Parts: sequence; structure tokens; C-alpha cells
Amino acid sequence: MTGTALSLSELPSALAGKFPGKVTPVPGRKDMLAALKVLPEAIVPVSQFLRDQGTFEHCALVSGVDWIDRIEVLYHLWSDEYKGYLELSVDLPADEPHVASVTPVWSGANWHERETWDMLGVRFDGHPDLRRVLMPEGYRFHPLRKSFELREPEELEVKARHV
Amino acid sequence: MSEMWINMGPQHPMTHGLWNLRIKVDGELIVDADPEIGYLHRGIEKICEYRRYNEVITLMDRTCYVAGIAWEQLYIMAAEGALGITPPARAEYIRVLSQELQRLSSHIIWYAAYVQDIGLMTPFLYGMRDRDLVLDLFQSYTGARMTYEYMRVGGVRNDVPVGFTDRCRKVMDWLDGKLVEYEKVCDNSTIFLDRTIGVGILKAKEAIQDGITGPVLRAANVARDIRRDRPYSAYPEIDFDVAIHDGADCYGRYRVRMEEMKQSVRIVRQVLDWLDRNPGPVLAEKVPRFVGTPSPPPGKEIYVERRGYPKGRGFSSMEEPHGEAMAYIINEGAEHPYRAKLRSPVFVNIAAAKDYLIGYRISDIPAIMGSVDVCLGEADR
Amino acid sequence: MVDTIYSVVYALVVYALNLLGPIVPIAPSLGPGLAVWLSYLVVGAIIFAFSLVNVLVFIWWERKLLGRFMDRRGAMHVGYAGLLQNLADGLKLFRKQPFAPKDADELGYYFGPTAYLVMSVMILGLIPLSFGVSGGVVPLSLLVALALFSFAPLFIFIASWSSNNKYSLIGGMRTAAQLVAYEIPLLLAVVGVVALTGSFDLNVIVGDQARYGWFGLPLFLGLLLFFVAMLAEVERIPFDLPEAEAELVEGWSTEFGGMLFAFTMMGDYVRALIGSYLIVLLFLGGWSMPWGLSNFPLSGLVFFQVKTYVVFAIFIWVRASLPRVRTDQLLQIGWKRMLPLAMLNIVWALALVVWGWPTIHWPVL
Repeated sequence: MTGTALSLSELPSALAGKFPGKVTPVPGRKDMLAALKVLPEAIVPVSQFLRDQGTFEHCALVSGVDWIDRIEVLYHLWSDEYKGYLELSVDLPADEPHVASVTPVWSGANWHERETWDMLGVRFDGHPDLRRVLMPEGYRFHPLRKSFELREPEELEVKARHV
Repeated sequence: MSEMWINMGPQHPMTHGLWNLRIKVDGELIVDADPEIGYLHRGIEKICEYRRYNEVITLMDRTCYVAGIAWEQLYIMAAEGALGITPPARAEYIRVLSQELQRLSSHIIWYAAYVQDIGLMTPFLYGMRDRDLVLDLFQSYTGARMTYEYMRVGGVRNDVPVGFTDRCRKVMDWLDGKLVEYEKVCDNSTIFLDRTIGVGILKAKEAIQDGITGPVLRAANVARDIRRDRPYSAYPEIDFDVAIHDGADCYGRYRVRMEEMKQSVRIVRQVLDWLDRNPGPVLAEKVPRFVGTPSPPPGKEIYVERRGYPKGRGFSSMEEPHGEAMAYIINEGAEHPYRAKLRSPVFVNIAAAKDYLIGYRISDIPAIMGSVDVCLGEADR
Repeated sequence: MVDTIYSVVYALVVYALNLLGPIVPIAPSLGPGLAVWLSYLVVGAIIFAFSLVNVLVFIWWERKLLGRFMDRRGAMHVGYAGLLQNLADGLKLFRKQPFAPKDADELGYYFGPTAYLVMSVMILGLIPLSFGVSGGVVPLSLLVALALFSFAPLFIFIASWSSNNKYSLIGGMRTAAQLVAYEIPLLLAVVGVVALTGSFDLNVIVGDQARYGWFGLPLFLGLLLFFVAMLAEVERIPFDLPEAEAELVEGWSTEFGGMLFAFTMMGDYVRALIGSYLIVLLFLGGWSMPWGLSNFPLSGLVFFQVKTYVVFAIFIWVRASLPRVRTDQLLQIGWKRMLPLAMLNIVWALALVVWGWPTIHWPVL
């Protein structure tokens, strides 16, 4: 917690100045304060910056989307100062996706990251306890991958790329 | 004495659902805790990807068994955002009414279960008795007591019946008296105060860091309430106070919920007055056909939007009885969501069990975990 | 004269043996020895049956009263106003297969609850239900009753330890700590009564109260202490930590099912019955009533039961209105509050004796 909190209008320029080329805004999101696309290697410093300078002290959600050719990890942050949500997204390769964990920044992200690992198979490097949370330990699939298709029980024959 | 691990759960009276709290105890003292969930996991997020937009509503009711309609609205708001539909004002007010009635019934059942956990048996039945009145109200306008299937993309299914507002006012008058009685039962009991004050402390800084939301956070003197901070539905036009308490302990959480119930009664009264004055439609006119009915026969599609409906992402967040709930829906132009993500407040509140519990005793576990108000249906989804 | 019920039964048994004389010539010649043993058996059976019925009605009383406190009706379908519901429940438990968990120590597992119940029922033989209606004349009946009463933690601990369940073990530990802690104020509260009567005979204690007034008035503090300690001893809310269902499932009786569960349950209620009996006998005048109301035949028996049910109603009232305390709070109340107050009560009782409390003690009314 150094310095005073930035105002919302200063935030994009401050981010762009601090992390040149690593943070790009995504246009067209009306229900958020802003949506930013972050390069995977910059996610922890950006998070740190947003928490300390941007007053985004509450990490509401870490989730993921399987776009088949890539995996998108989404972070939703809440600021009591601006009263709104900020969305960060990180694109990861579909094979062996892994990204640095933000649990050291917000301990509330702990179980969300575990769930994202459980459901989408995204590894969070530096996570203190990356176990499955909803599916049983030793389960072979990551069910929210698009390759995991729902079938009727009798024809349940799951084709998963990642086992 | 040597330490040992105890599995409290999955079948255990403390859990109020199906989860497993593993605790490490030294005598009666808790030295470590490790919650395990997933016993109620039904894969709702995955099933959503295989259901049309209105078929998902059925799933949302099953998400949380004490606050079904909150999840319905959460999903509906996100879906409306993804599809770009605005519901009429009357529908928004009916939604707020549903939310607050749901909050009342959820908090009342929390109160009933909580005093039961602490060993006070009588108010449990008082709570169940009064909750039934609220459920009767639900039944009179949604047709169901638990799984409502009432919200629709673009509004609500039907208007409230004739005479409903008067009936609802009567219940609110009854609850006014009963809420005071609930408070008296607990606040006048020395043993209740001994069991709750200074127990399960989670200070504001720690709570924010852990991502805790809802009454647990407000009991730590943080006035964050999505209804106030990021108003949705008809909340901007409604007057209410955010309940906070500076105890950060079980007693504070109890006080916050008690105060919230009173505020809910206040909101319901305002909404009823508005509903009396403003008749109107409750469902938007132009709702794309495919979200309304199962696939129409070929060649009969009414709306050309059926194909090429604008892609988009819908996001909604709301103050559910347990805390901040979020839904994130990605629409890729198909009949069903490409991805639906739900954020359950209970999921996060349980994850922080270690921070509430360490340093307290086995006898405190029901008091502490009860004050968090867990609902495993929504934590596991 | 003193043990009337025994004399009546003895006379009946001798009469029956004489009747048998022509058929079984040896019966009368066995003479007094056989008659004595038979009449002991019969008296024991009567007391056991009486207390068993009492326990069933106690549970019914608790269910109904608790229901009324909670704005509901309680048991109401089997028998008149649900009176036979407990019998039905008992029959259901009776039909169940006895079993032991795989890793339980079978000897302790079966022995614990059984001994708990047997030891509790034994006390009933020492308690006079009315003048002369008791298993026998025991000059130290109060002392023996309390001694047997304090055996319970041992059997509970055996039962809980041999169940091989962590909840049972914690419950058993708590029981041991709790019962031992509250045994002391319980006994010290009794000392006040004994100081005023100079006797451990319950008949004498009741006789004294009939003559000089109920001890509940001069020894009100003692009554209060005895009542609270008894609440803890019979493990009822607010002191039901050993079976605090919210945290320990069912406490020390978690692993018991079927008849063994019925034993633990019955043991609890027998102890509650004994607790209510003792409160009535020691402080509320036993079967005696003022204005000669208890002089009619059998009226003492009725008054005694009525008082017992009223005392138990207060137990139920407490259960309906108080939460459960925590382990450390429980022990604090026991050692830091109850113990000094019990001492004060003894001093007060001794002061009463010094100030001229009557010193003539006699059991007869």
C-alpha cells in the first residue's frame, strides 16, 4: 500500500505506463468498469498493482473458458472505491495451459483457482495447494473442457484430450 | 495430548448440507482445519451448456435450496445482458419483491438452524413456522414453495394474483412482531451471548483478503452491499439501509442478519405500494422466440434473429442472502449458452474456514460455521 | 411397620405358599427362607415396573410439554394424546438387531450401556415412593443412592471408549469431566440437608420436613444448587455437552443402535426421574403435604408423583428456553461459581443448627 489510490480515469494510463505492451483494453463491455487483456507473464505484477494502487482488494472470481484453440482465464476484481468490477483476461494455449497463481495476492482466489484447475485443467504455478475441489481426487477428466461431452448414461464414453 | 484429525462430515449435524470439515484437534482445541466440498456437485455449469436459455432456469432453482429465486434472477440478469433484453419496470419490482421475500425466508431458516446449533430448541420451530408464511406467499404467486421457475428472460412468468399485496402486507405485519421476538430470545440469553460474542473473529482486512462477502463481511464493519453499490433491478429506486456491525464475530453476523430482515420487510412494503399504483406488463414484448419455447418446427421460426443473434457476454452480480453472487454467461449465437459460470459466495466463505476456526474449541464449531450460513447446493453447484 | 409394602407382599407370599401346601408338600416346609426371597423378588419387580412406567410417562410428559413450549402438539397419534407413542418406539427398538461396529471392543460396547441402565435402576430400590413404599429400610439410603448415582461416568466412559469412535470418545471425556465436576456441588448441597436432619435416611428427611417445614425454604440456596447440579448430572440442556448433537453427533452414545440405544436413552430418563425424586425428597417435602392433605391412604404416593412431575416440568422448561454452554464455560460455572456457593450453603445450614433448629428426628409422620 504505497501512495494514494488512483482515480478511475488515471488507471488505464497508469497501467499502460507501468506495463507497456502487456495490458490491452477490450472494448464494448458496458457492465464492467473496464475489461483488460493481460499477457500471461504479467498477471501477478498487474494484480499486485491493481490491488495496491487501484484499490481492487476483492478478487471476486477466477474462472476459465475453453475456446478449443485456447483457454481464457478470467479474473473479476471488485473495488470498494470505484464500486464496480474490473475484468482481466489471460489467453493460454490449449495444450498444457499454465499461468502464475494470484493466490499470494488475494488469498480469496485460492479455491477459485483450484476449481479452474479441476474443471479446465489450467495449472496455476505457485499455488499453495492445487488439488481438485469439486471432482474426486484421481478423476481423469477436466469436465468443463469442450472435449468432454455430455451423453446419456448408457452411451457414456468420454473422449478427452487431456487425461 | 497428541493431536488427531476428525472428519466432521459428510454426514454430520453441524454441516447443514453435505460437506466435510476436517479438523485437527489438540484435546478440544482446534489447531488446523481443512474443508472438503464436492459431495453435492451436479455439474450445473456444464449442463447449462446443453440447455436452451429458458431451460436453464430449472437448473438455477436447484442451485441453492434455500434461495432458489435469487439464483434464477442472477442467471436471468446475465442472460438478458448477453442477449440484450430489457424487462418492463413492473417485472423488475416483482423481482425485487421475490428477492426480499427470499432473503427473509433464507435468513429465517438460518436463524432457526443457528439457534438449534447452539442448543436452543424452541426458536427453531418458531422460525420454521414463520418461514412457512413466506413460502405460502411464494406459492400464491409462483405456484411453488421451493423450486419456483418463475423468472423469464425478459421479465417474470406472471403477475401477482389479485389480493396478493394485502395478503403480503399482513404477513409483513406479523413478521414485524416476530422479528422482535427472535431478537429478544437471543439477546436476553446470557448463554447465547457467551457463546457468540468474541467467537469466530474474522477482521475486515483478513475478510476482504479472503474474498468473504455478504453478512459475514458486513459484520466486520465493511458496508459492501451490491444492492447499494452496484444497484440492479429496481433497487436504485428503493430506500433501505445497509446493516453493519463492528463485532466481526458470530454475534455480529447474527445482528447483521436480524437487521437485514427488518430492512427486507421495509423494502417489501415499498415494493407492494409501488405494485398497487403501477399496473403494467410483466414480460418484455420482443423476446427472441428461441429463449421462450422448445425448438419450433422448421420454417415456423417467428423471429429472424434466431440465426445470427448478436454474440455477447452477459455479466450479473447481486446480493444473494449469503453474499455476493455472480453469473457470467457467454453467448455465441447458439440456442444455449457457450459458457455459464456461477460464483457462489458460500464457496468462498467455506474456503476461509481455517481463518475462522483455528484457536477455538470443538464446541465453537457449530456456532462459528453456523454463523457463516453455508448452503452446499450453491457452493458445489 | 416401616416397610409396609414389603410386609404386605411377604404376607401374600406366605399365604400363597400355604395354599400350595396340599399340592406341593415341600413348599410350606421351606418356610420363611423361601418366602423372604420370593417377596424380595416381587417387591423388586413392582418397583422396576413402576419406574419403567414412570419413565415412559416421563418421556411422554417431556414430548407433550416441549411441544407446547414450541407452539406444536407433540406426540398425539398412538393411544390417547400420544400416551402409547413411547411404547411403540420402545417396541421398534426392541425388534432391532443388536450389532457392534467392526473395530469396537465388544465386551465394553455391550457392557457399558447395560451397566449404565442397571446401575441407574438400582437406585430406585433405595428411594421411598411414599411412607413405607420402598425396597427396604436402608439407614444410609441417601448416601448409597448418591454413591450409585456417581457410578455413571465410569460406565459412560467404558461405553464411549470401546465404541472406537472419536465423537464417542470426546463425548465420554466430556461426560467424565462434567459429572465429576458437578458431583461435588451436588454432594455439598446435600450436606446442608443432612446437617439439619442428622440422618442419611430419606424417610427421616421427609419426616422432618413434614414436621418442621420443607427444606426448600430455609435452604433455598441449597435447592438451587442441587437443581443446577442435577441438570448437569442428568446431562440435560444447558449442560448436555456430552451429547451435544450439533458438534458431537450424539456424543458418547453415537455408535449405539437398537436396544443398546434404548438402554442409554432409558438410563438418561431413569436418572432424570431419580434426580426429580431426590429434589422432591430432599427439599420439597417428599410425599408430605401441609394441612394434613397427605394423611389419606395412598395420598402420599400421589402427591409424591405429582411433585416429581412438576419438578421435571421445570427441567423441561429449562430445556425449552436455554442454549447449551461451552465446555470451558461449563467447568467454570461448576468450579468457580457452584463450589463457593455450596460452601456458603453448608455454613448457612450449620448456622441454622446452631441457632436452634429442632434436633428431634423421627421418620414417622
